[in-house]
Amino acid sequence: MFLSRDRSCPLALHSTVHEPANMFEKSLYDLIRGLRNHKGSEKEYITESIKECRKEIRSNDMDLKATALMKLTYLEMFGHDMSWASFNVLEVMSSPKYRHKRTAYLAAVQSFRRDTEVLMLAENQLKKDITSPTPTVISLPLGAIPHVINPSMANSVLSDLLPRLTHSHPAIRKKTVVTLYRLALVYPETLRPAWPKIKERLQDENEDPTVTAAIVNVVCELGWRRPQDFLPLAPRLFDLLVTGGNNWMAIKLIKLFATLTPLEPRLIKKLLPPLTKIIRETSAMSLLYECISGIIQGGILDAVEGTPEGEEVARLCVGKLRGMMVIEGDANLKYVALLAFEKIVRSHRNLVSKQQDVILECIDDPDISIRMRALDLVVGMVNSDNLTAIVGRLMRQLRNAPIVSATDDLSNDRGRMTGVVPYAESDDSDAEESLRPHEQKSDLPPPLPEDYRVSVIRRILEMCSRDTYANITDFEWYIDVLVQLVRVSPATKSSAAPDDGDDVDQPDDVGRAIGQELRNVAVRVKSVRSETIEAAQSLVLVDRRDQMFPASGNGGLGVLEYAGWLVGEYAVYLTRPEPVMTSLLHTSSAQLSSKTLAVYLQAVPKVFASMSGNDQVSWTPERKTLMTLLMARIVHFLEPLSTHPNLEVQERAVEYLELMRLAAEAASGTAAGEPHGDFADPPLLLTQAIPALFSGAELNPVARGAQRKVPVPEDLDLDTPINPNLHNLLSQADFDAYQSDEDDVYAAYTEPIASSSSHADAPSTTTASARLDAPPPKDKEPSSSYQNATEEEYLDADILARRKADRKERYRDDPFYIDAEARAGSAAVTPLARIVRENNVELDIDAIPVMDLDLEKGSGDHNDQPPVRARSARSPRRKARRVEIVGDETLGASDADADSSAAAGRADIVPPPQMGRGKKSLLEVDSSGLSALALDDEDAAGSRALSHIHAQQRQTEDALVQRALQEVERLRLEMQRASERLEARGEERVVRRKGGKRGARRVVVGMGDAREGVGAEGEGEAMVGMKKKKKKKIKKDGDGDGEGGERGEGEVEVTVKKKKKKKRRSVVMGEAEAE
Amino acid sequence: MINAVLVFNNAGQPRLTKFYTQLETSVQQRLISEIFTLVANRPNSACNFLPLPPLLASSSKSSTPTTPHNDMPSLVTYRHYATLYFIVISTSTESPLALLDFIQVFVQALDGLFENVCELDLIFNFETLHATLGEMIVGGVVIETQLEKVVEGVKAQGKVAKRPVNEGKGGLSLAGFGRGDGVWAGR
Repeated sequence: MFLSRDRSCPLALHSTVHEPANMFEKSLYDLIRGLRNHKGSEKEYITESIKECRKEIRSNDMDLKATALMKLTYLEMFGHDMSWASFNVLEVMSSPKYRHKRTAYLAAVQSFRRDTEVLMLAENQLKKDITSPTPTVISLPLGAIPHVINPSMANSVLSDLLPRLTHSHPAIRKKTVVTLYRLALVYPETLRPAWPKIKERLQDENEDPTVTAAIVNVVCELGWRRPQDFLPLAPRLFDLLVTGGNNWMAIKLIKLFATLTPLEPRLIKKLLPPLTKIIRETSAMSLLYECISGIIQGGILDAVEGTPEGEEVARLCVGKLRGMMVIEGDANLKYVALLAFEKIVRSHRNLVSKQQDVILECIDDPDISIRMRALDLVVGMVNSDNLTAIVGRLMRQLRNAPIVSATDDLSNDRGRMTGVVPYAESDDSDAEESLRPHEQKSDLPPPLPEDYRVSVIRRILEMCSRDTYANITDFEWYIDVLVQLVRVSPATKSSAAPDDGDDVDQPDDVGRAIGQELRNVAVRVKSVRSETIEAAQSLVLVDRRDQMFPASGNGGLGVLEYAGWLVGEYAVYLTRPEPVMTSLLHTSSAQLSSKTLAVYLQAVPKVFASMSGNDQVSWTPERKTLMTLLMARIVHFLEPLSTHPNLEVQERAVEYLELMRLAAEAASGTAAGEPHGDFADPPLLLTQAIPALFSGAELNPVARGAQRKVPVPEDLDLDTPINPNLHNLLSQADFDAYQSDEDDVYAAYTEPIASSSSHADAPSTTTASARLDAPPPKDKEPSSSYQNATEEEYLDADILARRKADRKERYRDDPFYIDAEARAGSAAVTPLARIVRENNVELDIDAIPVMDLDLEKGSGDHNDQPPVRARSARSPRRKARRVEIVGDETLGASDADADSSAAAGRADIVPPPQMGRGKKSLLEVDSSGLSALALDDEDAAGSRALSHIHAQQRQTEDALVQRALQEVERLRLEMQRASERLEARGEERVVRRKGGKRGARRVVVGMGDAREGVGAEGEGEAMVGMKKKKKKKIKKDGDGDGEGGERGEGEVEVTVKKKKKKKRRSVVMGEAEAE
Repeated sequence: MINAVLVFNNAGQPRLTKFYTQLETSVQQRLISEIFTLVANRPNSACNFLPLPPLLASSSKSSTPTTPHNDMPSLVTYRHYATLYFIVISTSTESPLALLDFIQVFVQALDGLFENVCELDLIFNFETLHATLGEMIVGGVVIETQLEKVVEGVKAQGKVAKRPVNEGKGGLSLAGFGRGDGVWAGR
């Protein structure tokens, strides 16, 4: 337009047009070519190039500067810092040539960060370019301001931006609208003057449609923050929706209306016809989808429920969504349909549950994005009826996909390992062909990414434990699921540092999460406690380690911390205490993480107590030998641990070591009775003292925070030292340490290794049944069935075998249960079978009585299905069996902790959701500042909110004034002190001037704060002029005090600006605090 | 709103990075490489939406559906054209399907400006690439979705260069892109 041909000549061709004066000068084109010619040595080349750029950017030739800037911007894209050039960016920005400006603005957008200091200096340039007569020049600051804006700058450029809303060029108008929106995000006051003008643009029917569309986009962004302010606009927006042909705008409008309808139910009747019309007629799938999503999210479905048209709409929407799920070959539609379902699952659970079949299919989708969405969705729609089916599917997935090995993972992660090296290689045309062909290596399902695996396991635990196990009807099943989960756990990354000390819990260690669940079930559900301990026992047993845990990696080992506690705490439930003890004392135990090891150390004496504590059995020589041997083994295990680096482990080891030595002495000192003679008392230390250490009140779950409610006893004295002689004791202990070290060495060489035989025993403790357990079949093909997963598909064979045996036992007397083997003819006990057999001779059909019909009705499912499948059909009946789940104990009423105690059941597993806005996400643009600002002063809808906000604001401002006055006083004192100090050392003039300046500026800031507060509270806009005057005066005062010298006019200008900036910022801060 | 627009090639080398918030350079690079890792392993039949990369996911996990979290980037949309990936990171206030159309318009606009655009054009004219994006998004808000207007806006800023001669051939093959095109006619 305004550019002449040669000016607009692109940089790439720059060097070919003008022969550069300097032979070594490079254009961007040269740089890129150079990069491609230096394959392998890019780093050196780039360092060299940046060095050149540093030189070029300092030259006086604007062309050269701009070129260097361009090259730096290009390299910045690859992560090469150019923040040092920010001042040069400003220089080039001030060039009169558009081409230079464009380069500089791009460089500013790409490289300026929050802490870029030259930003204040850019302000003038921005203002100048905004008011330029050339549209293309205006566009540059409009595009750049959103990237660099801060509150003070916003205040300053606002007055220049506002007139651009009525610029003759539509492109400028629409960019201005958006820029003003970004201004409002950091400086909400923007909207006071800007919103009426933007609204005017929106209402104007002659406005350029692209500008209208841009305004709608902005309104949509503002809309969800303050929907009530936009209700008055509804008629106009509705017109736009009905008449506008722009799909993008229609989508935004629908999204906006979805936030408005809850506030204004009358809108629903108006909206329904056009929306259904769009659904039926549009050719754009995106618009169709957003219509449905808008109808559902806007609560329109609820509002019209029951009416014939409501039925129709519901059918239409859900039908279309379902259609998206099942449509062939378009994964995107599947994804967004899941997204839509996810939004409504909490409010319309039944609507979503009806689509369970297609949703569950998505859990097994090869596409990880879809799986993740489906996973999120099913967690929301789980209930006691579908829990088993959903968990079953997820488990099948975990079990059938191989665990990613660490090497796979690393090779995928190219970027993090090497960093991105910038070179432009893509002129080899076969780069296009070399698109990853994604060959499937085998029939195995692709390995699941580790974080997905972790997330699935956590979701399973979350679903099952929700509301203190409200959805679980069969706890034995749950225990089996937990045990199976251990086997599919991915390796933990933190394995390198097992001595993690006191860090809380690693997020990727699902083993611990599973362990916590086991513990929770054992403690809360008494009726399955023995089964839980059985499971814990099998996890602890060393000889079953290969079978119970993943074959590779250290996955799931975290569960041992809890399993170890369980076998100790509930040692009486153990069916095989000796092997458990052997496993606890196994040499491999010492290699476990120190946390687990500490738990093991505590479990050892507990199990020992249960094994040795029986006082009803005579102290026979046999018993004596056994006990002595056992204690020797324990001592042997504990001894090396008494010097363990972890303090917790060390302390427990030392304590129990002494206890065991005592006990061993007592045992050897007590004479044994005759094998068949009179009853001989076992040593009291074994039967009374040691068990008494661990028995007492039973443990119950305690609510989070209950501990805090326990009152501190009044007579608790925490100040008096327990032992006044502590210092001496410690030095004595130091001395002893040397001795005991020697002892250890001595003992290691001299003591007979009493327990060596026990290690040899270890394999022999394997029971026959354990040896019979087949390893999980490897070639099990993944079921392609879309039915619910059967247990065979997600539980390993050994678990299944046990389940089956249990079930057989349980249903032996259940007439409704037909055993598969029994049916084969061996030992049929069901009434029907008995009748059949009794009439075996002539097999008289008539003899089968009427009850046969009842039978068919009652157990119809079971007759033609293998017994394992019976579970799902059984579940409604199983609910009848009440399982008592112990809730959390707490003190007093659960007042403030109401929510936390409600969540306490699963608080251990899922961290309680952070309320409010705890941590700001990366990339996030915070718009919360907007919610405090009402937009429409004159509209009735807005005014209610407004008055409230005014009151709030007034309070804030009062507080602000107070604070500002205090600040002024403080600064005044500070300055006074400073000036006194300055007078003291009169010779350093430079220093004095600096100090003086700063002091002066600070004072002005403080005063500005105070005045702004007063002004805003009082007359508002009318004050502005006066304010400025006053400020100027104050500033002069400040100068006089601090510097006492003369100063140019330019410097005064700067001070005024600085002062204004500071003042604004502090006001905004005040508002933020008030929210 | 839109939080970032990224373009990188099949090897993960950035061709355009535009973040609508100020972000440390090192964080930018990490995000790019995380997204590349996610996107590079996807089969062609997979959908065009990525799970959140770890950098973004860690902070958004805590969000509950009841609290407004529309400021949070929650959607990563991508399209793959020949040698280039186009990525848009956005909040939930954007429509996922519409964003796919948006990327399509962006590429079509580039194609209109460069005539059978290929990666090389974008390498040598990354300023034009930025200018094109600048005509479609300002500060994270979409301002234009009509192809002609975008092209018109870029051309108003000056002549668009062709790639230097002898620098290779082959375009982004617009004809072949857009798997979903048959199913919905966007925009």
